Amino acid sequence: MAKIEMTVNGKKVSHEVEDRTLLANFLRDQLGLTGTHIGCDTSQCGCCTVHVDGLAVKSCSMVVGQANGAEVLTIEGLANGETLHPVQQAFSECHALQCGFCTPGMIMAVSGLLKDNPAPNDEEIIQGLEGNLCRCTGYINIIKAVKHAAVAMK
Amino acid sequence: MSTEFKGRREDRRLITGTGRYTADWNQPGQLYAVFLRSDRAHARILSVDTAAASAIPGVHAIMTGDDADIAAMKNPPSNVTWEGRGGMKMNQPDRPVMARGKVLYVGEPVAMVVAQSAHAAQDAAEAIVVDYEDLPAVIDLEEALAPGAPQLHQSVPGNLPFDYEWGDPARVAEIFSAAAHVVRLKHVDQRLVGNPMEPKAFLAVYDATRDIYDVWSSTQGMTMMKGSLAATTGVPPQKIRVHAQDVGGGFGIRSNAYPEYCAVFAAARRTGKPVKWVATRAECFVSDWHGRDFVMSGEMAFDRDGRILAARYDWIAAMGAYCSPTGANVHTLTPATTSVGTYAMAAVHGRIRCALTNTTSVTAYRGAGRPDIAYMVERLVDEAALQLGIDPIELRRKNFISKDAFPYTTPNKVTYDSGDYAGMLEDVIKVSDWSGFEKRRSESKARGKLRGIGLAVFVEPSGGGRGTDPNQAMIKFGSSGNIELFSIAGPTGQGHETVFPEIVGRELGIDPSLITARIGDPDGPPLTGLGTIGSRSMIHHGSASMLAAREVIRKGMDHAARELEVAAQDVEYAQGNYRIKGTDRAISLVNLAKKLGGVAGVHPLDAGAGMAHTSAFPGGAHVAEVEIDPATGVTEVLKYYAVDDCGNIVNHTLLEGQMHGGIMQGAGQVFGEHGMYDKESGQLLTGSFMDYFMPKAGLLRDIYLGDHPMPSPTNPLGVKGAGEAGTTGALPTLMNAILNALRPAGVTHLDMPATPSRVWEALRKAR
Repeated sequence: MAKIEMTVNGKKVSHEVEDRTLLANFLRDQLGLTGTHIGCDTSQCGCCTVHVDGLAVKSCSMVVGQANGAEVLTIEGLANGETLHPVQQAFSECHALQCGFCTPGMIMAVSGLLKDNPAPNDEEIIQGLEGNLCRCTGYINIIKAVKHAAVAMK
Repeated sequence: MSTEFKGRREDRRLITGTGRYTADWNQPGQLYAVFLRSDRAHARILSVDTAAASAIPGVHAIMTGDDADIAAMKNPPSNVTWEGRGGMKMNQPDRPVMARGKVLYVGEPVAMVVAQSAHAAQDAAEAIVVDYEDLPAVIDLEEALAPGAPQLHQSVPGNLPFDYEWGDPARVAEIFSAAAHVVRLKHVDQRLVGNPMEPKAFLAVYDATRDIYDVWSSTQGMTMMKGSLAATTGVPPQKIRVHAQDVGGGFGIRSNAYPEYCAVFAAARRTGKPVKWVATRAECFVSDWHGRDFVMSGEMAFDRDGRILAARYDWIAAMGAYCSPTGANVHTLTPATTSVGTYAMAAVHGRIRCALTNTTSVTAYRGAGRPDIAYMVERLVDEAALQLGIDPIELRRKNFISKDAFPYTTPNKVTYDSGDYAGMLEDVIKVSDWSGFEKRRSESKARGKLRGIGLAVFVEPSGGGRGTDPNQAMIKFGSSGNIELFSIAGPTGQGHETVFPEIVGRELGIDPSLITARIGDPDGPPLTGLGTIGSRSMIHHGSASMLAAREVIRKGMDHAARELEVAAQDVEYAQGNYRIKGTDRAISLVNLAKKLGGVAGVHPLDAGAGMAHTSAFPGGAHVAEVEIDPATGVTEVLKYYAVDDCGNIVNHTLLEGQMHGGIMQGAGQVFGEHGMYDKESGQLLTGSFMDYFMPKAGLLRDIYLGDHPMPSPTNPLGVKGAGEAGTTGALPTLMNAILNALRPAGVTHLDMPATPSRVWEALRKAR
């Protein structure tokens, strides 16, 4: 067992967990933040993407101890109160989600991408989405949403 | 119908991480289930030793197929109730919920551990020792039906549970023997894994004091889930409450209760505690029922002028080691339905043999028989164009069922509702600048690339499911005049929460935002019907919502007349108001509902309606242009054009979403998806996202969507369904384009998936 402390969505949290617990499971099971989804067991799908110390990472690829002391942002903390983040807004307006299961991870990945590159071209968007799978949308409207969000965030 | 798209009602919770999929639900005191699965394709189980596993702290129960509660469960009957070749009846092998005595495929559940934590359950499952004696396995479809093949079930001789035949064999044989030209093709239509992004999961709570089960599951429809759980477990459906607020994709494979759900169901009763199971993706790969998997031979007979005379098919369809409830249905009857495609021909004859192999079961997957037959027909027509030296556009024009011929009854007695195949073809060749292609081909050639253009014109049956109960919707009024729409449609991303209120709002002439949608609410009225399968929900549940709204208006007429103190025949309804004809005296529906109030939850304006099962025939004409790099075998799709007839369009943005997704799933099959088994060991070689090709962003970049709606007379909305059309069109369109690009290099045959290595290999061999 290990004692884990971190800041999640601006709040300090502390829990005693089994060493083998993954960050994704810690967020979901200990903190009840079920917006972080688990869609695979091989770090391919990206459904569990969160920000750790400002970087978009797949939370299934970290043992929770590796995030000890970190600042973590999940999909639940992305909006500013009632005001949606521009990427959230763009996903809805561009119909970039259907079943919505990949969506939290997509949005976290895209908001990370736009932080690094505020005006990505198509190639850069496609490259930026390489680690996130969606089975419903064909990605057409997701790419559109990334562009809309980039413009909105200018 | 809808104007500017401003997002869906569903979106707010889904983009803020507050949606709730099955794994997001928890119950106090819940236990966790983990399954131990067969790691071999065919073996006798000699012993299952659970002693060490039981000793692990936190383990509450270990159940196997021989556990009395599990062994008592019954395989639901197949929904194939019609006869096959020579009067053959469907011979479905019994499927145990967990293996009994034998395992028949890699991934078959052998034991279930229920423990205090998921970790403890996992540790215990790993501590179970199973002693197997290996048996010979058969994976290949043709080998499975050959004499001397290993037999999977004593009760199913020859591994042949169903042999389906349709059409007129004698007439077709006669036509073929006299035909001026016959074109023949044999293709493999490979096995796919559906892979909805939400791994399957199940949470069961048994309340012994009320004798009620509450279950949470990712499902395409609560009535289907309830029905199949009841059929397997023997618990009456009225004692099962299904919860499915958000479902992370379905695509056909989430219609019925999986065996694991039934085992978890039993564990909840056994332990008296809530039991939760969340599958890993690796488990989904081997235990979600798969899709497609045919070996297909087809031939088409032509006269001297290129007129199609008849078609004949001889296919083998994979069932897996056991038959899923719908596998044999959608892989025989569905492709047979549109086996003449969009063409007028005199006769058709086909045979599809269902084969059992030591693999995971096969069921409906997006298209479910539709893309398969469209692929065969449109490959044959393209091949014929080449062999007959007729332009592929000309050949199709010559043979289409004419726009004026509808309703059109095919030689195999299927009635197509409406369509304009020639019109769609004209649209798509225009937008795709088909006539300018040769110039573009030369430009590519100058850069050392092989450019190809491909076309398919297709029709498919929508409306799936042959349930006899009408598909019902109900509108209920609250005391403040608020309106609630109840539906059991079972959405998995289609946007029903948004679009059904739009339909009701339009019909009632009121703002849809005044209507609350309660989709799949276990506390709602007991509605009948099926869920979201076979491109059917708009036709059935959408129409039922519309009919319920009409019933509300009718019911309100007398009440409004009393309020307005006139006779009912003097009242008319328009734009949300009952009005005395020719005057401005009126009462709004909302105010009338408020005034009437309700008693004990029943309001005088409450109204339900049902839409009887029907089938429509959406179609499309698609064109793709591709460019292949002969040095690497990599294919780039330059542009994809889809002109579709989905009947009337209710919400254009949602329709586009369905088409995008459908076309991309077709592209997935064309370019890489393959549920590939090792023929010796029966191991699934593509059992994770590391090995299984999933379409990623950029596989198709540019999809043009054009509308060519021909309203369907089969339902009051005039819609045809859109969920599968994209996939149905994409297979033949993209493969025709790829072969068109490869032909100048000497390649005449290629099977899906057209991976870079296969394309490169085909080019090398053709050299």
